[in-house]
Amino acid sequence: MVTTAMPKITNGISAVKHLPAEFYAPFFSHAANKRKPSPIRALFPLEGTPGLISLLAGKPNASCFPFTSISFTARSPTDPSQQTNLELDKNELAAALQYGPTVGEPSLVNWVFGLQEYSHGRKRGEGWRVSIGAGSQDLLYKAITAILNPGDAMLIESPAYAGVLPMFEHCEQVEVDTDADGINPASLRSIMQNWPAGKPTPKVLYTVPFGSNPTGSTTTLERRKEILSLAREYNFLIMEDDPYYYLYFGEAARPPSYFTLELEEPEVGRVLRFDSLSKILSAGVRIGFATGPEPLLTAMDMHTAMANLQVSGLTQVMVSTLLNSWGYDTFKIHTLNVSNFYREKRDIFERYMRKYLTGLAEWSAPEAGMFYWFKLLLGGEEEDSETVIRTKAIERGVLALPGTVFMPNARKTGYVRASFSLLDEPEIEEAIRRLRDVILEERAAVGKD
Amino acid sequence: MAIDAPQPDEAGMVLLNTDLTDVGKVPTHSDGVPAVELSDSTKTNKRQGGKHLPAEFYSHHLSDAAKDRQPSAILSLFPLENTPGVISLLAGKPNGDTFPFNWFQYSVRTPGNPDQETVIKIDDDALREGLQYGRSAGQQSLIDLLVGLQEYSHGRRVGEGWRLSVGNGSQDLINKAILAMVNPGDPVLLESPVYSGVIPMFQSLNCEMIEVASDPEGISSESLRSVLESWPAGKRKPKVLYTVPTGCNPTGATTSLRRRKEVLASARDHDFLILEDDPYYYLYYGSAPRPPSYFALEADEPEVGRVLRFDSLSKVVSAGLRIGFISAPEVFVTAIDSHTATSNLHPSSLTQMVVYTLLRTWGYERFMLHCKGVSDFYREKRDVFERALRMHLDGLAEWTPPDAGMFYWFKLSLHTPGSAEADEDSEAVIRTKALEKGVLALPGTVFLPNGKKTAYVRAAFSLLSDQAIDEALRRLKEVVIEARGLSGEKARLP
Repeated sequence: MVTTAMPKITNGISAVKHLPAEFYAPFFSHAANKRKPSPIRALFPLEGTPGLISLLAGKPNASCFPFTSISFTARSPTDPSQQTNLELDKNELAAALQYGPTVGEPSLVNWVFGLQEYSHGRKRGEGWRVSIGAGSQDLLYKAITAILNPGDAMLIESPAYAGVLPMFEHCEQVEVDTDADGINPASLRSIMQNWPAGKPTPKVLYTVPFGSNPTGSTTTLERRKEILSLAREYNFLIMEDDPYYYLYFGEAARPPSYFTLELEEPEVGRVLRFDSLSKILSAGVRIGFATGPEPLLTAMDMHTAMANLQVSGLTQVMVSTLLNSWGYDTFKIHTLNVSNFYREKRDIFERYMRKYLTGLAEWSAPEAGMFYWFKLLLGGEEEDSETVIRTKAIERGVLALPGTVFMPNARKTGYVRASFSLLDEPEIEEAIRRLRDVILEERAAVGKD
Repeated sequence: MAIDAPQPDEAGMVLLNTDLTDVGKVPTHSDGVPAVELSDSTKTNKRQGGKHLPAEFYSHHLSDAAKDRQPSAILSLFPLENTPGVISLLAGKPNGDTFPFNWFQYSVRTPGNPDQETVIKIDDDALREGLQYGRSAGQQSLIDLLVGLQEYSHGRRVGEGWRLSVGNGSQDLINKAILAMVNPGDPVLLESPVYSGVIPMFQSLNCEMIEVASDPEGISSESLRSVLESWPAGKRKPKVLYTVPTGCNPTGATTSLRRRKEVLASARDHDFLILEDDPYYYLYYGSAPRPPSYFALEADEPEVGRVLRFDSLSKVVSAGLRIGFISAPEVFVTAIDSHTATSNLHPSSLTQMVVYTLLRTWGYERFMLHCKGVSDFYREKRDVFERALRMHLDGLAEWTPPDAGMFYWFKLSLHTPGSAEADEDSEAVIRTKALEKGVLALPGTVFLPNGKKTAYVRAAFSLLSDQAIDEALRRLKEVVIEARGLSGEKARLP
């Protein structure tokens, strides 16, 4: 599964060198530095004293919870006509219903550790650990709060995932160019080379390296290596937001994640990785996980301890039960099924794009995820898809998302984003056909044709 | 407004009719980030000539952070999806066909009939909704059911200026409410001692935490009034009071009706809002009638809309579910939903569906019966604890038994040689002598916002067996005796 060189193991001890805890001190925000550890939690280890009776924990008595059993079925990834029936055992049920550890249910946390080794070749003991979050959105929010102060500059690929832009709204968002091959290291290098002397340099780069939302692009291997090199040279962390990692369906070999590639760096510890189960297992259960340097995760966990305590035990245990029953190989097969599903949708979309929009739009077919990003060739001087969407497109009965909402610093663009996840083939064809009519109408209006 | 629950058959089985007509279109951002419905006017503010405070009133009660939040540009497009015949390429939701679950099922004991179980299955549309992205405020059908519960329990109706949203536990909602109301450095009023979990929220905003005294009758309205009447002229006044009025954590006190009314009067006189954090509301077991909530009482006030009420299912249904709800003036709930849309999108759709199906199956009356069973359980534990306290610590500690919740708050009469009463410190004793003797209670200092020492400790009686309670307090007796520098026999207070 892993295509890069593994680190040398001597006497069973990983030789991977990781950045020390002190390295991260300048990366913490004022908010993170202010947080104090809970005085109550400080007492919990004492409960382990043999024979001790503890009156500490303000937990409710589980015998009052009315649930007596929880079970579910899941389709087998290897044979969809088969389903697995899973029932939570006594311990799992108790864990699902009671308060639990901030970092997440141990069975799920352990599974994630194993997944990160299986998928990314990273092992325990390399200075990183895992926290479960209420979706990767929750973890992104906490990471950003732990690192960035209002007014701080940060680097963000552009266009960028609209759902993350509000989290950076008090920061100076320095846009890094992207294209069909993903984030552009030359653009980043240029930004850093021209950085005003004396101005604090950006602490983080935010990027979605697979099937980027909205552009659909997947960053190439060569560019990832350059980005890592720039991170070391200019001392910033990489927030690798990767919800479409398992939705890659390109012909070429899947590029390794930043989390994997940093093994080739002199030290690991610059990558903070965010995984999500939303696109592969369920969006509604709200389960994601952050993987990265221990000091960063500890700062995030302290925020969780204050803000929302923990992720739902019920959903964690349910997901953990399923994933542990599958094992990693079956999980991989499931993700291949999911990515095949999206590839087929992509193929349909591409077919109709070519049929109806050749010469009327510009695009590159995505190799991961669920989005098409294309520029409407409207014929006018100004590139602005928004007006056309809100007027002519609506009149003709088609809606795509104006690209302007993905610009960190408001500006117009001729691009739109279309999602191909939900529609069937006739709807896709009709939608694109209508877009064609919209573009032709607009071009006629500006005297283009 | 009780909803009739489907009746179980002889085997106690109920298979929920999953043909939910309320599974409707869910407006979300194109990325699946659920959209905040900024004016869900079908659910609020339609009361004719209501006496509730108008939206404009709250502008000086909203924090800068809340006012700063930009409405989403994407939002304005979503209503367009409803245009007949439109094919939308907007929504960045994953396709639910790829989610591998076929059905989800759980069983619950029937309240009032513990040998009977009800099985509830979630499949088809209900499961699809439970597995997909949802609205920031929560699942509409669950919200409607909970709004009905608020009418059932507190007599408050739709159209009185308040709205309800579901959160990832009430902790999630309290945190967001504070961020929506309090600016850095603001003074805030907290009952003291106070739930320790809320202290970091105010600390991270550098708040001046003004302690309002409390006693076995709950928060002291006299202390509150006194603080506000002697407030330095020209100094920014506190706009928020935080209180846990039923089975307060840690004191166990339940604020009396008389005092609640006085607090509401002070809120009006001094223009502050009340954060009513009430997770033990359904765990009340006092012999006197349960005092009405602030949320209920304010309906009789000249102005309605000073109470933000936080409910939790953690103590009565399940702590691990992480489901709580806020009932508060529209402007704050909207601010919180907006925050949720950015920070964690929405509470888990699946757990919401579990709670929805459970409450719909039971109906409000059976839910209340369940809560009665829970509060009976805690009352019995309270009785065991009280018995053991009298047996072992009579004369060595001071306390008032709680009428709700799961905590005892008692002062160890340490009479440390050479120490003034005000300097008594339970923490030192806990960490040394108590540990040695094999018993741990929580030093009261963690509940004092400004970190003062105290001789009080908090003990939870939720988890321990009767024997363990007895033994724990016996050991604590020895701790106190030793701390007092006495040997052997107990000495009694004069």
